[in-house]
Amino acid sequence: MSNTLRSRLTPYLFLLPALLFMATFTLYPLVSVGYLSFTEYNILRPAQPVGLANYQRLIGDGVFWLSLRNSFTYLLVTPVIIVSAITLAIIVNRPLLGIGVFRALYYIPVITGAVAVGIAWQFLFDGSGGPINGMLLSAGMIEKPIIFLTEPAWTLPIAMMMTTWMGVGYYMVVFLAGLQSIPEDLYDAARIDGCNEFQKHWHISVPGLRPSIVFVAVISSLSALKVFDEIYVLTNGTGGILNSGSTMVFYLWKQAFRLQNVGYASAIAMVLLVITLTFSIINVRMLERGEG
Amino acid sequence: MSTVAEPMSTGRIRSVRPAWTRNLFWYGLLLLASIVTVLPFLWLLMTALKGPSDAVFGFPPQFLPREPTLANFTRVWNQLPIWRFFVNSLFVAALTVTLNVTVSSLAAYPLAKMNFPGREVIFYLLLATLIVPAELTFIPGYILAVQVFQYYDTLWALIFPSVFSAFNIFLLRQAYKTVPNDLIDAARIDGANELRIWWSVLTPTIRPSLATAAVFTAVTSWNALLWPSLMLRTRELYTLPVGLMALRGMFTADFRLIAAGAVMVIIPILIAFIFAQRYFVAGLSGAVKG
Repeated sequence: MSNTLRSRLTPYLFLLPALLFMATFTLYPLVSVGYLSFTEYNILRPAQPVGLANYQRLIGDGVFWLSLRNSFTYLLVTPVIIVSAITLAIIVNRPLLGIGVFRALYYIPVITGAVAVGIAWQFLFDGSGGPINGMLLSAGMIEKPIIFLTEPAWTLPIAMMMTTWMGVGYYMVVFLAGLQSIPEDLYDAARIDGCNEFQKHWHISVPGLRPSIVFVAVISSLSALKVFDEIYVLTNGTGGILNSGSTMVFYLWKQAFRLQNVGYASAIAMVLLVITLTFSIINVRMLERGEG
Repeated sequence: MSTVAEPMSTGRIRSVRPAWTRNLFWYGLLLLASIVTVLPFLWLLMTALKGPSDAVFGFPPQFLPREPTLANFTRVWNQLPIWRFFVNSLFVAALTVTLNVTVSSLAAYPLAKMNFPGREVIFYLLLATLIVPAELTFIPGYILAVQVFQYYDTLWALIFPSVFSAFNIFLLRQAYKTVPNDLIDAARIDGANELRIWWSVLTPTIRPSLATAAVFTAVTSWNALLWPSLMLRTRELYTLPVGLMALRGMFTADFRLIAAGAVMVIIPILIAFIFAQRYFVAGLSGAVKG
């Protein structure tokens, strides 16, 4: 091989492994799921083209709409996460003795994994004598225990609380990095102007964190749209009574891998793809505005 | 990256003179937040230590075990191959990290330091894959695993689909960009080929970013639940999250045993976190600047 040809090929050879894996495990599956969404397929027999039938079926499927609505409701975790993570970041940004230990403690829920956390939560929220019910009872806030885990109205809120609880430590670190890049002079100026602690953060920290806020909003909302683990663990894989906790990815999983409706599940996947794409475009616009 | 590399250190020292009452207020808040994050785990641990006569549930709730015992741990240990689950998780995480970081840094080098036709196209193609949720690829991924690669119900099924990560490629590309071109040129004049330059000149200089990518990939792999539970049927092949789900199904009657299992699953990652805290935190928040 001549030297020039070799040097011209070099960059592609470096990229080759990554591109091969990308083509096999990301691009091909995307095309394939698009094709499957127009077929009827149950793994056992070859896929039969059925045109738009799967999409028509979606329109009349109440559980699909419920899952869609639940996935959008789930987006409410984003503002809650942002507010709590910023508050926590402000608190741990003080040079107090042992602050590193506290930061580490807040980080533990991020790394422990959804199954172990879900088990802890099922225990805390148990309806027959879990600690949360115990506290509410002794505080006189309720008269009899709430059966949190099987009550349809509570399935989604508890999963959302779990997502928030598992995520806050991670986003706290993001905001902490943001806070530490805000010039100290700004706070000194605010002190001289007679701002109190709250005003100081409201007028300086929050505007200064804007790029981090946009970043966290993007990341946490995209992961809220594809939530699965929390629902799966908390409802023992059922999705809750009357599908009350079913989300887009959960319903996709259930149709594909529990009910073997692979074609129909692929159509759900395509809807999810369109939603995430739309969301990402909105997010990129926001990012551009946030940085400009 | 430099700003997120040390978020666990004490932060910068403010010139405020510490007033005791003020500090007390902040410590109060810190403790309150710690209770919220740690108490669920602590309660789990206490439950795992409870003996048969201790109430797991009840009003008012009983926190401390009256007759602490390790019997729950031994029973879970004897009935389920937790050790195997751990080894499986470790094997999958180690191989995924090695392959992923190697492939990602190979791809990141030309994207950062070379000019070639098609670079923009490849760059934007990679960027686009960041948006696609992995969950969308699970249906064709399943068919591939069963019909084409035939690695269904093996640990390879968890490894190969996780080798490509646009996120890591971008992270490492940013790192390579900060390496001075003179360093590369000098190596070229010395007659080193590109593979050699990548391995012995560039890679050592971006070690912190490699560690970041490695830890991020490892934590993701370690905690993965949906894909592994689709791929693994044989119990001896379960990873820790899948094994813990199975354990919960087995011991529905006794929450002490479920709690003991959960505690045993949490301990290894907690130990890893204590020793490599810096990389954990930098790794998971690296995305900000990456």
